[in-house]
Amino acid sequence: MKKSLLLSVGLLALAATLQVAAAADAKKVKIAVLMYGNKAEFVQLMQRYGKDDPAVTSGVADITFYDGRYDASVQNDQAQLAINSKFDAIIVNPMDFEANIPVVTAAKAAGIPVVVTNARLNTKDMNSEVVSDDVLGGYLEAKDVLAKLGCKGNVVIIEGPKGGSGEIQRGQGNEKALAECPPGAVKVLERKTANWSRAEALDLMQNWLSKHHSEINGVIGQNDEMALGAIEAIKAAGLNTKDFAIAGIDGVTDAINAVKAGEMTSILQDARGQMQGSIDVALRAVKGPDFKPLSPIWKQYEKDLAWNDGQSKRYDIPWTIVTKDNADSLLNDRK
Amino acid sequence: MSDSTLSFRGDVFFRKFGIVAAFIGLCILVSILCQLRVAAGDWPDNVFLTAANLMLILHQISINGILAIGMTFVIIAAGIDLSVGSVLAFSGMVAASFATASVGVTPWSGNYGVVVPVIAALVAGAACGALNGWIIARFRIQAFVGTLGMLLAARGFTMALADGNPISAISPDLRWFGTGKVLGVVPIPVVLFLLVFAVAWTILNKSIFGRHVYAVGGNEKSARTSGIKTPRIKVLVYALAGTLAGLAGIILTAKTGSAQTNAGSSYELDAIAAAVIGGTSLTGGVGRLSGTLFGALIIGVMNNGLDILGVESFYQLIIKGALIVTAVIIDPSRKQTAL
Repeated sequence: MKKSLLLSVGLLALAATLQVAAAADAKKVKIAVLMYGNKAEFVQLMQRYGKDDPAVTSGVADITFYDGRYDASVQNDQAQLAINSKFDAIIVNPMDFEANIPVVTAAKAAGIPVVVTNARLNTKDMNSEVVSDDVLGGYLEAKDVLAKLGCKGNVVIIEGPKGGSGEIQRGQGNEKALAECPPGAVKVLERKTANWSRAEALDLMQNWLSKHHSEINGVIGQNDEMALGAIEAIKAAGLNTKDFAIAGIDGVTDAINAVKAGEMTSILQDARGQMQGSIDVALRAVKGPDFKPLSPIWKQYEKDLAWNDGQSKRYDIPWTIVTKDNADSLLNDRK
Repeated sequence: MSDSTLSFRGDVFFRKFGIVAAFIGLCILVSILCQLRVAAGDWPDNVFLTAANLMLILHQISINGILAIGMTFVIIAAGIDLSVGSVLAFSGMVAASFATASVGVTPWSGNYGVVVPVIAALVAGAACGALNGWIIARFRIQAFVGTLGMLLAARGFTMALADGNPISAISPDLRWFGTGKVLGVVPIPVVLFLLVFAVAWTILNKSIFGRHVYAVGGNEKSARTSGIKTPRIKVLVYALAGTLAGLAGIILTAKTGSAQTNAGSSYELDAIAAAVIGGTSLTGGVGRLSGTLFGALIIGVMNNGLDILGVESFYQLIIKGALIVTAVIIDPSRKQTAL
């Protein structure tokens, strides 16, 4: 008992020392990044690109990541913590479309710039949003599946968690693409959630294959993990993935490898674009009009994404369709 | 059976076969609903009742079934293990780190064949479980709290192992545990599940250790006075649950081809549900593995049947919830303890 008490006091003291050391370095812009969670590859990628950001490596900015543990109220508390700890700016990747609005409200009340990244938040009070349009993502993946099928046949849709902004918006995009086929040409045999999970999608797809035998021609997975689960189910049933048109969204590493193997299409959501774009926008808000963006992404997306002096309300980071041609360079980028 | 002292005369038949009746009833219900669709001309045949689909159900319950077997031991010993889902993820990640083509995700990661990753995962699971048991027995804390700690810690270790990243590119040798088949029909996970069931059943029902597990759960004090080393039994029981979580972790990693940091989240609840539906009492001392087997089967038939019938997932949760509570209410062997 005493030992554990001593240990916790020691840890507290250590944490305090680190805080003081960080505070001493006053010139750096301190940015708190509130991530909704950290148990997925995409979030890990965002964190990595955050740490690799030119502003961070060159010492202009100092970023601290907070793990929201998939709980909107935890994120709201962390926003307050960041405000109390005198951070200069907050970047939030919100868990919930509505429940995380207090992050923006609190930051604005404290006069701290706040940038929303990756997911949407139902308010206009943030400085900027740096996101990718999920409706467009859902449209692109469904369009790919339907093009492969020539707008003919039966598809299944594996959905994200019901009611989440990802499921709603990607679903809208799916529907938009389906509506562009002649009426009745494509039948949606099944649609159900597998909660972004590969293991859940595997079971679900197995059950659907059991029910529909070989009637399923296309699989629209609202993320890559679920599309990968469907691929495993198809293989487990002794069927050939080449007989199916399969697509997912996000561009996780396994999906890029599956694209290389000709098993699916993936629509890459650019974690670097979202993270580093957000950091530049936040730095501009803190440092003023003299600030020039540092991340290479502005050059990369020159044609589709204008910097606009960091003043745009919304930055739409473009999607990239992963093909056999760009797969290797995308994989190399992650090494 | 060790719990025979608690039986009510006349209920013996129901107690022994009630769960089987419930299972058969559920199967008949799903078949009828499917048959109605066939009659309506929606479907060419009754897909639920095909041999392939029934094998699929066994395939799908094997992971939960293996976890539930460990859970049954723990609950009979008057404990609970909330950590099995996290321990599954941790063991699966350990196995993956020793059986992957991607080098550098952990300092040691690589392909070490099949024996190394399997042993490593089982040892990781056993160690987590033994630590659970030791902490609970040594410091006399409630199992709920002790294993809650492990639920969090093992998830953290899972993430720390590969810096929060998944480990993929699993070697074909290890993947055999998830995708292989015996004689081209019976999936390896099913074989492993049935093997584990047979061994566990023998241990619980035919060994001295098994009798001690019931004794510790029934009345720990009198078990101790009668000379049973209760702390040792507890450590062993939790170590068993951990080892089985390790095995389940290997299977899940092998099945999906990737060890993921969020693998197995809330699997402990399905494992507890299977044991409880199968008649194992949370107050300890009562329960049988055959019940757990049917408990897992009932959950599996429900998930499969509701998917096939196209029932929304919301209702799936409601039905599962109702089923668990009903199972406990109608279980005549439960101790009459008003809490």
